[in-house]
Amino acid sequence: MAPGQKMYPRATVKKIVKAHSNCNLSKNVDVMIFLDYALFMQNLMKEATIGAKQGGERGITARSVRKATADSLAKFKG
Amino acid sequence: MARESHPPGDGTPTRRATSAEPSTSISRLSVRTPGSQARGPQRPQQGGLSVSGRKAAPLIATPHARAALRAIDSRRAAILTPHRGRRQSLRAARETPRDFLLPLARALARNTQAIPSSSSSPGDQRTSSSAAGDGDTLFGGDAADDDDDDLPKRPRLSLPIDMEDEDDSDLQPHRSAGLEDENMTARSIELPRRALSEQPGSRYSLASNRMSDFFSGNANEMLHSEDVGIDSGFFPPINDLNEETLNFGPGDISAYERLDSDAAGHRVGEESGFGIEVPDMNESTFMIAPQVQDSPTHQAPEFSESEYANEILDARSDDESDQEPAEHNASREDVAEPATHGTAEHRAKKKKSIKVSKHGIEYPSLPPAVVKRLAQTFAKTSGAKGKISPDTLKAIVQASDWFFEQLGDDLQAYAKHAGRKTIEESDMLTLMRRQRQTNPHTTPFALAQRYLPRELLQELRMPPPIPLKRRRTADVGEEHEDVT
Repeated sequence: MAPGQKMYPRATVKKIVKAHSNCNLSKNVDVMIFLDYALFMQNLMKEATIGAKQGGERGITARSVRKATADSLAKFKG
Repeated sequence: MARESHPPGDGTPTRRATSAEPSTSISRLSVRTPGSQARGPQRPQQGGLSVSGRKAAPLIATPHARAALRAIDSRRAAILTPHRGRRQSLRAARETPRDFLLPLARALARNTQAIPSSSSSPGDQRTSSSAAGDGDTLFGGDAADDDDDDLPKRPRLSLPIDMEDEDDSDLQPHRSAGLEDENMTARSIELPRRALSEQPGSRYSLASNRMSDFFSGNANEMLHSEDVGIDSGFFPPINDLNEETLNFGPGDISAYERLDSDAAGHRVGEESGFGIEVPDMNESTFMIAPQVQDSPTHQAPEFSESEYANEILDARSDDESDQEPAEHNASREDVAEPATHGTAEHRAKKKKSIKVSKHGIEYPSLPPAVVKRLAQTFAKTSGAKGKISPDTLKAIVQASDWFFEQLGDDLQAYAKHAGRKTIEESDMLTLMRRQRQTNPHTTPFALAQRYLPRELLQELRMPPPIPLKRRRTADVGEEHEDVT
């Protein structure tokens, strides 16, 4: 239930988003961003697991992840 | 020993054959002898049976001989069984009317006494054979009459032989043959498949696409560099060869030349790529030109993505040195994604973890350990077993890169729409609401409590401006719910 037991590199996340958006970030947005990222990862892994099970694969494979990537990205399109 | 045993052997088969119960003896004999001798001569020459029995004794010992004999017998049975079936059927068909007609004829023809030769003789022989059952009548019957006389007796002789032969032929030779065929073909065909070997190529191509996105603005340049690379791909190895035939330190010299021609100082990827080439060129002098082109292609999939990126840069800077990697990367770019992104061209100077966004800002990628930890926990919660393989992790990292890119675009759009130059929590809340991650029933606080570490939760709660903004902008309804 608590995937984020450990800290994540806040500065890195900030840099990434800042580079992509070409905007400044307020002080604590990165927490929300990381929260969103965690949700995205959850969705991605869930979809990849479902895809892997449907495809008869054992565990999550790169193929299933790649298949699930497009859908979950579209789902997280604002 | 065999010859001594023959005289009794001569005596027994004749009696058995004449006694018309040849199932055991004749079946053995037929198994032993059949290849050379036909059945016709066997029956009259029953001395020959013992001779064949001699030959059969060594043959039985070897399994291959048995198999061969069984195969022959199976063929013979396959040939002979239809005849037998016909005869039986004909016999069954003929006998029934005869059995009725003969007593009628006898009853009616007592006065006439005129008995035609063909019809009267079988009736006589039947009675005689059933009464006596001797070899003389058999031989006479075999020699004289074709169908009618043989019918009562031949089934007794031929049935057991053919039956056993059929059993053998049905069981053993077919099974063994089928198994052998299946084994050979199935294994040889099934094992090598392309799928595994083809997948990594597609993966790399997929993975390298986005890696080369920040060069995608320069697609024209890349195309030019491709052409030059392809053209020069044939020439410069020859030059290198000439140099190397002259002196033994060719790699160093060529490397220096490339360094001179380069504007950027990053040599790492190139050296790793070409340090392997050089020994090949040293070893053999003239045959190398194709090999030189081959060697980096084989080594290419081993490179990491950032090395590819570096090599693209190198190929752009100097065309002679990095033909093949440039071709690879360019082809992958062309296949996967046309150039959609912006104008900035920034060269990644470090190997990994620095990419360039479309705004020309370098950014590090999220460390894969973090991504892996997150992905693993979510994979476990979603029910997947096993660990995350490096390929999978690569795909996940790629997906997360794209995610951050998309998220940055969206946040930028929201901030610009609000007339700000800074992305604030309100933008993020808007985004999450538009993503339908938060709705009146799931507050971002609940999500944060579920997914974020405690320290971050505290940071989300503690500073006063953030909850204020949240209450103002996004979650007014939630606040009312919370209050009530």
